Amino acid sequence: MHGNTAQQGQKTKFREIFMDGIYRINPITIQVLGICSALAVTVRVDNAAVMGGAVIFVSIFSNLIVSLLRKIIPLRIRMITEVAIIATFVIVFDQFLKAYYWEMSKQLGPYVALIITNCIVMGRAEAFAIQNPPLQSVFDGIANGVGYTIVLVLIALVREIIGSGSLTIFGIQILSLLELGYTKNLIFVLGPGAFFTTGFLMWVLNALNRNGEEEK
Amino acid sequence: MQKNTNFRTIVFATLLGLVSSLSLFLVYVQTKPLSEANERAEELRNYLFVLDVPVSSNAGAEELLKIFDRFIRVKKVDSLTFYEYYPENGSSDSPVAVALPLSGPGLWGRIDGVLALEPDLKTIKGIRFYKQIETPGLGGEITTDWFQSQFVGKSILSSSGVPGFRIVKQGEVLDKNSVDGISGATMTSDRVEKFLVDLIKSVWNARSEYAR
Repeated sequence: MHGNTAQQGQKTKFREIFMDGIYRINPITIQVLGICSALAVTVRVDNAAVMGGAVIFVSIFSNLIVSLLRKIIPLRIRMITEVAIIATFVIVFDQFLKAYYWEMSKQLGPYVALIITNCIVMGRAEAFAIQNPPLQSVFDGIANGVGYTIVLVLIALVREIIGSGSLTIFGIQILSLLELGYTKNLIFVLGPGAFFTTGFLMWVLNALNRNGEEEK
Repeated sequence: MQKNTNFRTIVFATLLGLVSSLSLFLVYVQTKPLSEANERAEELRNYLFVLDVPVSSNAGAEELLKIFDRFIRVKKVDSLTFYEYYPENGSSDSPVAVALPLSGPGLWGRIDGVLALEPDLKTIKGIRFYKQIETPGLGGEITTDWFQSQFVGKSILSSSGVPGFRIVKQGEVLDKNSVDGISGATMTSDRVEKFLVDLIKSVWNARSEYAR
């Protein structure tokens, strides 16, 4: 790990964590984790945003708790402990949506509960939080959650505009191509459109992000 | 230290389980009244929808309940509950539509829905499934508009006058008494057909009792 003695070192460390999660090792485009939900909930931008919010919430708190407990978690049951902590926060979020945002909860359906098995959250707990102090772990949770959300929203933007011919975010219509005589391209609403968009985005981001293995 | 690992593991796991379940319990108790109200509102909205009662799409639970109490009269015949719709400007002695709760076992769990009939109790006015845990994309398609709208205008009697209904494989010729099933979800389609037929038969048997 990088030097963390001086304050300057601390600062760089946090910036590193942030850049890693959002861009350099973005969970979706570089690590190719959490693809299932990224394909499933990106038909509409607002669904993608709420799903992203859920993952940010869960990864912050699961990273925090795992990090706080990192010295007392018995090594043998470390992974099941992480899953139990993640599951608790996911259920809390799901209950919250059911109580306060019923429509959203209906649209996201089973995908909120499936955050429990989202490799990103589990991966950050196992790869980062279990061996780093709480504050850094919280930052790592934010960075990865935000990295996931940005990619999801980008995919959803493309799919909603091309697939539905309009853009409506939280009930406010921003764009409507249908009035201009645009024909909806249904393939972008269906699964294949999600694959095309995600693949294209990965290609672009990987081409821009050239400090990967090829260069070394 | 080494000797204590088993003990320590068990204590840790127990404490983790306790803390986790306790916090979930507290959250559940806190949110239960709200999520139950939402579920109830969802149910009411579907009843009002099939009966064609005008409702604004963003009406809250309380408003829906008010509309429901104002226009819907409940009539029990045998084990059946009829929800009759009397619109404000209509005559007060005959309803314009009748809804019945429709539910039964699906493939993975209970399916809840509502069936609306025209006052003749023969023609289907609409059908909605609002609570189910069938496979998303397959059996879960029963909640889609294309599946539900097929039922509108169909008859609960076969061409020879026998009460029943058929959900058939796609491609078969449809008549006034059948709709297309969902490809890849035969198990769900068959189960829906079964409890729909059960309801249709009991409505048909209760019709003279109901008319009284």
